[in-house]
Amino acid sequence: MIEQRFKCPTCHEISTFYGDPGETQVVTCTHCNTKGRIIITGEKPGNDVAIEVSHLKKVYDDLIAVNDISFRVKKGEIFAFLGPNGAGKTTTVEMIESIRTPTEGAIKLLGTDTKTGFNQVKERISILPQEFHSFERFTVRETLTYFSKLYKKRANIDEILEAMDLRTHEKKLYKNLSGGLKQRVGVALSLVNDPEIVFLDEPTTGLDPKARREVWQVIANLRNKGKTVFLTTHYMEEAEHLADHIAIIHKGKIIAEGTLQELLTKYGEKTTLYIKNCHSEDAKLVLEEKGFEVNSSGNSDLMVKIDYKEKVLEVLSELRHECIEYDGVDIRGSNLEEVFLRLTGARLTEEEEP
Amino acid sequence: MNLRIVGVDFLYSIRSWSRSRGTVFWSLLFPVMLILLFGAIFSGMGDSKYTIYVQDLDNTDMSQSLVTILNKTGILTIKNVSTNQPITDYIKENNIKNLIVIPKGYENDVTNSFVDPDMKVNLTYYYDPTETQTNQILRSVISSVLEGLNMQLTQGKTIIGLSEQSTITENFGFIDFFIPGMIGFTIMQQSIYGSIERNTKFRKDGILRKLLTTPITRSEWILAKMLFMLFLAFISTSVAIGVGVLAFGIKVNINLLTIVIVIATSFLFSGIGMIIGRFVKEEETADMAAGAISFPMMFLAGTFFAVESMPAIIQIISRALPLFYVNEGLRNAMIYMNQTEALINGGIVLIFAAIFFIAGVILTKWKED
Repeated sequence: MIEQRFKCPTCHEISTFYGDPGETQVVTCTHCNTKGRIIITGEKPGNDVAIEVSHLKKVYDDLIAVNDISFRVKKGEIFAFLGPNGAGKTTTVEMIESIRTPTEGAIKLLGTDTKTGFNQVKERISILPQEFHSFERFTVRETLTYFSKLYKKRANIDEILEAMDLRTHEKKLYKNLSGGLKQRVGVALSLVNDPEIVFLDEPTTGLDPKARREVWQVIANLRNKGKTVFLTTHYMEEAEHLADHIAIIHKGKIIAEGTLQELLTKYGEKTTLYIKNCHSEDAKLVLEEKGFEVNSSGNSDLMVKIDYKEKVLEVLSELRHECIEYDGVDIRGSNLEEVFLRLTGARLTEEEEP
Repeated sequence: MNLRIVGVDFLYSIRSWSRSRGTVFWSLLFPVMLILLFGAIFSGMGDSKYTIYVQDLDNTDMSQSLVTILNKTGILTIKNVSTNQPITDYIKENNIKNLIVIPKGYENDVTNSFVDPDMKVNLTYYYDPTETQTNQILRSVISSVLEGLNMQLTQGKTIIGLSEQSTITENFGFIDFFIPGMIGFTIMQQSIYGSIERNTKFRKDGILRKLLTTPITRSEWILAKMLFMLFLAFISTSVAIGVGVLAFGIKVNINLLTIVIVIATSFLFSGIGMIIGRFVKEEETADMAAGAISFPMMFLAGTFFAVESMPAIIQIISRALPLFYVNEGLRNAMIYMNQTEALINGGIVLIFAAIFFIAGVILTKWKED
């Protein structure tokens, strides 16, 4: 199965589809829902693909939780599966992990079809389920040892404790650990079989900012160890901070996919230059004459849209040239929140469970 | 089946269990406390019993009149025993607790006593010495009836007396009745609540989802947990017997049937726990459901008091409960040495165990819908 991008003849947006070379598919544009027929061209991918998902669907009675999604995750990358609560993230990841049975579609992990060969691939993957709590009366070391002994291939527990900065807590009972430490142990558990793919489902939910950053560091280290990380999250900062590749899921469908830069470029707003306390009435006119898009707020701040950050100097030199005074400037770039807002009309953090 | 993995899970289960003071308390010390408490309070006492069997060997107007008077007390339910039955065999085969034999010649002897002042006639009262409270009540009722008859016939002279004979050759007390009941009760509690923890808390905590993606299979995991439950069951049984022997001097016979019933009990109630865990997702609700099942069963199945002391309708319910057969089976196998009865009870427990455990295993799922 390979990835193929097509431009919609109606809305001219680019959508990504997956299929085998030569395969003809009837597809729907993810932006305007125009239907059409496409032919997948190109050659089959090499062995650099860790996860392949094609046309995955999960239906519960009258609810379509996951609606015909396809994507690929390359080996060694952190793939963030981003979406609000109830968007279908966990359902998707649990189908990939064979915890749930898909209604339709196919999943390959490290080239193995999970429908028939999941048991063969178990030794090579590891998961941290959402809201995971391990056995309360095991110490940290015992927890790691217990799960390690379930596998044939075992990583060195001491090395994991060291790498996860858990050495000082190894004799503590799991139930006595803080939330951040528990999550760190959860991630550490994902390494006991030295897996090739690590699935982390909402690993930082419920953690305070400090604990969240600690877990981020641990996840970043996984990439450094060459692991493929499938990260499910509803925190855009998490995806921005960690991910090599991001897929945004909304109402069971992938609505955007790419690197952070690709998503911001494609769907983000322009960078905004905030000029604070600029009381001159001429300032807006001067900048507009120079072709800038300028908005003013009620508190005498000016907001100037700029294509790229280098334009800041140009704006400021115009103001200086006209002897226009202001208190300071602030540059705000686009982010995934804006991307999501633009794509769905809703804020990522405010979406409720269906 | 990977026995190495089964062994790992089994050993870690024991380690985890031993670290929970609460679990150890409820598994071991609580039953010990109950045994000591109930043993101290009720040793030498028994339970009330209202059903009494009567074998009328005389079968005359006067003997039938005596049966009618006993029946009219309103306290006793009379059940007649055929005169052809050898009484000791009948008692043993039917596990009879209370029985009166009206001797042949009863009417003749009573009539003769009017002319012969030395003539007396004795009814024989067979009783279960483990149910001393019941015996006291019945003895009192029968004595009152006989006193009334004596008064009516001879103005106070005792011509109809009562001789007593134990239904069992050995002298058993309440504690002999109670210890097997506590063993059954403890295994039931451990197995039901253990299963529920594994099937609700572990599910909520994501442990089952995690295990699903590791090489351990569901059957290996269930086998490991059942080995652990059997370990607990035998520990509890040993502790209960130890306390009974050391503190109350009971005499216990450990035999193959006892071991089979203990194993079957563990499987039976683990199966019930699995079924509850499958349908009740919330941990707290599952605990309540387990309580709703085990608590009434504890009282109705003859753990603390003999089922025979309960109203007839309750006795019917009691005999539908698996714990009743566990308790009776253990008593017959361990204490009363009534191996025929124990075999029947054990067989019923095995059938219950097979049904509930197989249903539980089928219903236990790691996968989500």
